Amino acid sequence: MQRFLQFIATLTLFLSLSPLVAQETCSYQMSGYVLDEHDQTPLSGSKIYLQDGSKVAYVDSSGHYHLDGLCKGTYVFYCKHFGCAAVKQTVKITSNTTHNFYPEHHIDFEAIKVKGEKTEEELSLSKRKLSVRDKNEVKGLSLGDGLSKLNGVTTLTTGNNISKPVIHGLHSNRILILNNGIRQEGQQWGNEHAPEIDPFIADEIAVVKGANSVRYGPDAIGGVVLVNPKELKKTPGITAELNAVGLSNGRQGNASVAINGCLSKLTPLRWRIQGTLKQGGNVKTPSHYLKNTGVKEYNFSYAIGYIKPKYGIDFFYSQFNTDIGIFSASHFGNLTDLEKAFNAEEPLESANFTYEINRPRQHIEHELFRTKTYIAAKKRGKLSLTYARQYNKRLEYDKHPPLNDSLANLNLPALQFELTTHTGELIWESVRRKTLKGKLGITALHQGNTYNGRFFIPNFQKIGTGVFWIENWKPKTTKIEIESGIRFDRIYQRIFMRKGDDIVSPAHNYQNLSGTLGAIYKPNTNLVLRFNLGSAWRPPNVNELYSDGLHHGAAAIERGDSTLVTEKAVNLSSSVEYNGKNLSIVFDAYYKVINDFIYLKPTLEPTLTIKGAFPTFMHDQVNAHLRGFDLTVDFAITSRLSFVSKTMILRAYNRTENEHLVMMPADRFENSLEYNFQDRGRIKNTYVSISSCSVLQQRRVPQNSDYVAPPEGYTLLNLSAGMDIRTKNTTIALGISINNLLNTRYRDYMNRFRYFSDEMGRNISIRATIPMTLFTPKSSNNN
Amino acid sequence: MVALASCKKDADLVEVPPPVGNEVELITTMTLLFSDDAGINPDVTATFRDPDGDGGLDYDIFDTIRLMNNTTYNTSILLLNETVSPADTISNEVLDEDDEHFFCFTPSLANLSIVRTDSDGMYEVGLQSQWTTGNAENGTTQIVLKHQPDVKDGTCAPGETDIDVTFVTEVQ
Repeated sequence: MQRFLQFIATLTLFLSLSPLVAQETCSYQMSGYVLDEHDQTPLSGSKIYLQDGSKVAYVDSSGHYHLDGLCKGTYVFYCKHFGCAAVKQTVKITSNTTHNFYPEHHIDFEAIKVKGEKTEEELSLSKRKLSVRDKNEVKGLSLGDGLSKLNGVTTLTTGNNISKPVIHGLHSNRILILNNGIRQEGQQWGNEHAPEIDPFIADEIAVVKGANSVRYGPDAIGGVVLVNPKELKKTPGITAELNAVGLSNGRQGNASVAINGCLSKLTPLRWRIQGTLKQGGNVKTPSHYLKNTGVKEYNFSYAIGYIKPKYGIDFFYSQFNTDIGIFSASHFGNLTDLEKAFNAEEPLESANFTYEINRPRQHIEHELFRTKTYIAAKKRGKLSLTYARQYNKRLEYDKHPPLNDSLANLNLPALQFELTTHTGELIWESVRRKTLKGKLGITALHQGNTYNGRFFIPNFQKIGTGVFWIENWKPKTTKIEIESGIRFDRIYQRIFMRKGDDIVSPAHNYQNLSGTLGAIYKPNTNLVLRFNLGSAWRPPNVNELYSDGLHHGAAAIERGDSTLVTEKAVNLSSSVEYNGKNLSIVFDAYYKVINDFIYLKPTLEPTLTIKGAFPTFMHDQVNAHLRGFDLTVDFAITSRLSFVSKTMILRAYNRTENEHLVMMPADRFENSLEYNFQDRGRIKNTYVSISSCSVLQQRRVPQNSDYVAPPEGYTLLNLSAGMDIRTKNTTIALGISINNLLNTRYRDYMNRFRYFSDEMGRNISIRATIPMTLFTPKSSNNN
Repeated sequence: MVALASCKKDADLVEVPPPVGNEVELITTMTLLFSDDAGINPDVTATFRDPDGDGGLDYDIFDTIRLMNNTTYNTSILLLNETVSPADTISNEVLDEDDEHFFCFTPSLANLSIVRTDSDGMYEVGLQSQWTTGNAENGTTQIVLKHQPDVKDGTCAPGETDIDVTFVTEVQ
C-alpha cells in the first residue's frame, strides 16, 4: 500500500511541476480536438488558423491541435478540413482554453449523412455515450464493465470474467445490443452469457435508456446498447491505431491494432482491418487467488466500403473468440455442497497464480458478417438495405469429465449451443421537407438453434418480421421537436425436442403493435428537455418456455412454462440536460410498467434427484413496475478543478405479489474530484481524478427468495490519471487507473458468485493509445 | 487463416434434436444389493431411479430398505445410466477411479452400523460395505457419493457430491 501512495505522490508531484499561476499577457494556450460532429472521429489533416495567418496549427493524426502565444481577448478562428469549407468560430481567451472544432463536411457531407445510423439523431429518449476519456479508461475491460461508467447502467456478473450490462435494472433479453447496427444474437438469455463483442472495435459505445421497440423491434424493454466501429477513413492515406493495456490483477495483457485506409486515386474505396488479443490469469481478491479465473480472447474484424454520396456499399466481418475459466469453487454437486461453500471463510479450493484455464470453462465463438448498400437522392432521401448473418457457438465444460474413459477422451462439452441468425432490413429515410422527416422500414429475422449434450433449452426455429414508420416534426421557428412512431411485429417460433423417443414440435405465434410519442424542447442553448412515452414488448424466450434442468452454479432446478404469454411494457421517461458555465446537470427519470413480467419464482416443493433435493424455480408472470432516476452533476470549482457526482436510484416492484423484484441493483452514489493540469510543452490534457463509489446494501428483496441475505453495502476508492504526449507526428495518450485502491474486501449483490466469493482486489491498469500515420499521399495537402 | 476467408457453417439440422442422454454421462439409478452374511435371510434390494437425470421427469422408483433384525448383510452398490441402451454400469467406472470416490453412510437408526469393506489401496471406497442390524426399529439412511479427485482423505468433507439419497429404512 505504501508503495502505491508513494507512486501517487510522485505522479502528482510530477504533474504539478507546471506553473499554475502567473500568466504573461500573451502566453495563453488553446488546444483541443477537431472532430467529426456526427461520430466524434478525429479529423486529422485539418488546420486551425487566424485569418491574418499569424497563428496556424496543424491537426495531428489523433485529431489534436495546439496553439500558443495567444493574448487575452477575442479571436476569430478558422478550422479547415480537407475537402470542406472552413468553419469560423469566435473564442474568447481569458485563460488557457480547451476548444474542440467540429467542421462541417460540406462537400463530403452527403456521404456521411447517407451512412444512416452514424448520423446523430436527436432522440426524445436519452442517449448517453462514453466520453473519449471514459472510453480510454475502460480499455481492457469487458463491454459490460465498460458500459457501467454510464450513470444508470450497472452489471450482472458471474465472477470476474462474465459481465452483462444492466440498464435501469433490466438485462439479458430485456435489452438489445446493436453491434454495428445489427441486433446481437447470442445466447443472451443466460445470466452467465456475456455479450460476445470486442470493445476495442468500438468507437462509439452508447446506451439509449428506455423502451424503444418501434425502431429496434422486440426485446428493447430496458434500453438499447449501441456499439459502433469508427467510420471508414474518408481521407486518402493509411493510418493505424495501436492500443496496449496491462492490468495488474490477473496480470492481464491486451493489445489491439486497427489499420485504416483510403485510396488516393479512388477515395470512395475505404477499408479497415482490426484485431485484438487478450490474456489474463487467475485474479486475486484482497486475500487470495481465485482458482481458474483466467481468460483468453482473440478477435479480429475487417471492413471495406465503396462510399459515394449517391450510392455505396460496405462489407463488415468480425469474429470474437474467447475461453473463460469459471471459478472452480462455483460448481456444486448439490445443495449441501453449496451450503458448505456459503459458510466457508475462504474458497474451499485454494490456488496460486496461473494463466492456465481448466474445467469448468466456457468457449465461445461469435461471427458477424454484414453488408449494407444504399442509394440516396439529395432532395428526397435515402434507401438502404442491410443484410447480416451471425453465428454463435457456445461450449460449456463441466468441472469433471465423464467417468467413462471413452466418453472422457472425447473431451466434449457438457452443453453446446449453436445459433445461426440471418437478419435483413430495408429502410427509407426521407430528408426534412418543410417540417416533417420520416423513416419507414421493414425488418426480417430467421434463426435456428441446436444443442448437443445435456438438455437445457431445446432446438428451435424463429422467424420474425416487422414494419415500422417514424415521423419527426420540427418547424424551423419553434424550439420544440416532436417524434412519433408505430410498429407491427410478428414472430413465429417452432420448438423441436424429444419426449422419450418421439420428437415433438410445438409452435408459438406472437404479434404486437408498439408505439412511441416523444418531444424535445430546447428553450435556450443551455437547456434541453426530453420526454418520451413508448411501448415495448418481448415474446417469452425459449428458456422461459422450455428450460428444464439443473444449474450447477446456482444449485437449483429451473423449469420453463410453455403457456407464458408476451411481456409488455410502457415506459415513460423524461430528461433534463443543463449546460451552464460552471455547472452541468443531466437528469434522467423513468417510470416503467411491465405487464406479464417473466421471472423465476421459487416453488414450495423442492425437486428430489439422485443428488438430493434441489430448490426449484418456475418461470412465472406478474405485473411489475420499475421507477427511478439517474442524476449527474458536474461542477467546475475552478477552471482546473471539477467535482462530479452521480446518483442512481431504482425501485422495482412486483405489483401482483406485493413484494420487491429480485436481483435489482442497489442504490449507487459516485463522487469524484478531477484536476486538469495546464498543458506544458508537449504534454497535454493531463488530469488526475479520484473517485469514491458507494453501493448500498440491497434491502428491497422479496422474502424467502434467496439462500442468504444480500451482501452489505460497500465503498470503493478509485484513482485515475492520464495525459497526451505530442510527438512530431502524433499524440500518444497514456493513462493509469487504480480500481479498488484500498484493496477493500467486498461482495456485490449483482454478482452471482456473491455467495462464496469476494470481489477482485486492487487492480491497476496502465494503457497507451498510439495513433500513427503510415502513409500520406502527396496530393492530399490541406487547403 | 481459413477462418479469415470463410464463414463457419450453420448449425446442424434444427429439426432433429439429439436423443436424451447422448454424449452425456448421467447416474440415473442406484441399487443396493444386500445378502445375509450367514445365508439365512433372503436377499434384499433397494433402488432409487430418476429415469432422465436432474430436471425433466421426477423419480419413478424410490424403495424402502427393509432388513431383518440382528443380521449382518454384505452390501454392494450398483450405479447405472439407463438413458443409454444397453445401460451403462457407472459403478464400474467408480471402481476404475476408486481413488477419487468415497461413499458415506449416515443411518439415523440407533442400532444399525455400517462399515466400508473395500479399499483403493490407501482409503476405503464403500462400493462394498457391511450392514449390521440390531433390534427392530425404523429410520432413514443417507448415502452420499463424493467425487474427490486429488483431495480424497478418507473423510466425507472434501470434494463434490455426485449422489445424495436418503432411504427410508425399516429393520423388522
